[in-house]
Amino acid sequence: MTSQKPSRLSYLTSGIIKENPVLILMIGLCPTLATTTSARDALGMSAAASFVLIFSNVVVSLVRKFVQPSIRIPIFIIIISTFVTIIDYVLQAYQPSLYRVLGVFVPLIVVNCIILGRAEAFAYSHGVFDSFLDGLGNALGFTLALVILGSLREFFAVGTVFGKTLTPNWYRSAPMLFMIFPPGAFFLIGILKALAVKLKLGK
Amino acid sequence: MIDWGIIIKALAVLGGAGLLIAIVLLVASLKLSVHVDERETAVRAVLPGANCGACGFPGCDGYAAAVAAGKAPLSACVVGGPNVTRRIGEIMGQDASAAEPNVAFLICRGGRNEAASRFQYKGAADCRQAALLLGGPKACIYGCVGLGHCAKVCPFSAITMGDNGLPVIDERKCTGCGKCVKECPKQTLLLVPRSKLVVLACVSHDKGKAVKDVCKAGCIACNLCIKVCPAQALAMDKNLPVMDFERCVDCGICVHKCPTGSFIDRAPGRPKAVINPNCDGCQTCVKACQFKAIEGEPSKQHKVAADKCIGCGECRKVCPVAAIDMVGALGHSGKAL
Amino acid sequence: MNLSKIFIGAFLVNNILLMRFIGLCSFFGVSTSLDTSVGMSAAVVFVTMLAAWVCWVLWHALLLPLGLEFLRTAVFILVIAGLVQFVEMFLKKYVRGLYSAMGIYLPLITTNCAILAITFLNVDYGFNLLQATIYALGVGGGYSLAIILFAAIRERLEDSPVSPSFRGYPIAFVGASLISLAFLGFANLFGISI
Repeated sequence: MTSQKPSRLSYLTSGIIKENPVLILMIGLCPTLATTTSARDALGMSAAASFVLIFSNVVVSLVRKFVQPSIRIPIFIIIISTFVTIIDYVLQAYQPSLYRVLGVFVPLIVVNCIILGRAEAFAYSHGVFDSFLDGLGNALGFTLALVILGSLREFFAVGTVFGKTLTPNWYRSAPMLFMIFPPGAFFLIGILKALAVKLKLGK
Repeated sequence: MIDWGIIIKALAVLGGAGLLIAIVLLVASLKLSVHVDERETAVRAVLPGANCGACGFPGCDGYAAAVAAGKAPLSACVVGGPNVTRRIGEIMGQDASAAEPNVAFLICRGGRNEAASRFQYKGAADCRQAALLLGGPKACIYGCVGLGHCAKVCPFSAITMGDNGLPVIDERKCTGCGKCVKECPKQTLLLVPRSKLVVLACVSHDKGKAVKDVCKAGCIACNLCIKVCPAQALAMDKNLPVMDFERCVDCGICVHKCPTGSFIDRAPGRPKAVINPNCDGCQTCVKACQFKAIEGEPSKQHKVAADKCIGCGECRKVCPVAAIDMVGALGHSGKAL
Repeated sequence: MNLSKIFIGAFLVNNILLMRFIGLCSFFGVSTSLDTSVGMSAAVVFVTMLAAWVCWVLWHALLLPLGLEFLRTAVFILVIAGLVQFVEMFLKKYVRGLYSAMGIYLPLITTNCAILAITFLNVDYGFNLLQATIYALGVGGGYSLAIILFAAIRERLEDSPVSPSFRGYPIAFVGASLISLAFLGFANLFGISI
């Protein structure tokens, strides 16, 4: 099979399933497990991280010609922390309840392996539009993984998804609370990863 | 209403912090640089890079650093062998003599055919875990567990598990690094010098019936080997004969005299004694042979029964007229000959 | 909050790895062997203490008085990165023993969420310097406890017959879930809530 230059579209789509950062590559796990206690919180977290990911990818790509290889990591960190600070204050102002739930994980976006990883592996060596697509693809993949995890945890532990009740009363009177707590998060992501391996999603 | 004050303060603090960190790191990288001895780099380049730890240092990097610092013997890399030792010697400008090469050897003969099982083990297929369970599934608690941990850890893939449930060591691939010896939970692997021909293959500290009940090939501590050894190289300790490698001449008498066959002869072949016409019929050799392999009447030419002769050379030692020659497989006749 | 409660809270009740999910990337990567886990824990405790002090001082002496709270993220992460780099060079030259024990883990720690999280939480909880020190010590200790326990289990898991789709990360996560369940038992110990 001859190797071809990956198409523009593949930059976008590879980050969604084939190279999903959370389920296939297993990076960026801290916010994944901590903020998925409900589907809404998961969506909020992934939106914040996606914002930072897409914009930092674009900016890193814009300045890549002016950045020396030896100091690129600190430069990436400065760029990323700029956007993290922006989203931090935006959330504080417009979504205070979400901000309280996410807590310390909003500033921790700056050390999220996914964002630094994409900047280093892709944005530093590709054009602006391609970096935008790559950032978008990974952001969608991250969102997908988080929302699935959040929905599952909320469904099993509370009986609702995005606040909509989906289970009968008898379940909600004695739900699987285990899923809301940390052990449930570890367990669920182990099962999801095993499922991904079984379905050969990474190949 | 742009608050210029705060923007300027922010720029100043962030810019200042960045500049300060940059200066500190620059100064540090200059003043705290570690000078690497180029001999260390050269020595490291000639090392095999297997990082097996046999030299006793943390990996090839560790050994190279120690050699360059003069804190390590030049011949410690057994894996690289005399070749590497010589090259290290060239780099360091010193004469290097290689150490005697060792090879790994299994000192247990209790495979599936010889040793019984106490129970059926259904746990993780690892010797260390099986050994934790009442000493392992083998009836002899001292013996090799046979689940292949040594084969897994050998960095040179020199060990495979044989049909009898015992590890088989490929002596051509084995470099004597000693990793398997360290990893075996039962301590049934030993490093022996390659030139050593006779080794005891049992680690059971039980005696007599206790051993016979659990293993056909185990040492029953009958003390026979100690009596027949011509070099007094064996001594009993905790129901096992301990061999003094300095005294042992690898004659092979213990191998044949042991009732359970617990000694192993590593020699691919042994010579045979032949009596030449110098023989004056003094019968000294007839009395000396422990296997009654020499026939002969007094004052007549003696003859060696080749099928009984084990090639130990005791007869040759005692013959007063140098009438006995050892022929065939001379390269494996032990230190006596 | 008194000091012992801060420590127990950080060490057991709100264990940074198993209850707060902070520091997971290095957790799963390094815990495949007991030796590397011990080295990593040493590095984490060391850097956590240093970073906690430096950032606390920077916050109270510089950022707060000047009204530059919004620079917190950028300044803290830059300082940590520079600090780790400096410490690595210093150890390599002057404390060879410590460097050979944990030096190689230092670059991994720069982007470890745990370090940054401590510095932020020290500020958010409004700790004074002593409280911040105890908290950092508790978190470092909690990290070490969790990673060493987990490494011991993972080493045993390696030899066990695990079904193909679960080999590697999935079964490790399930294992972590069980340890986390055990730590959940510490909830409300001495009245410290999770």
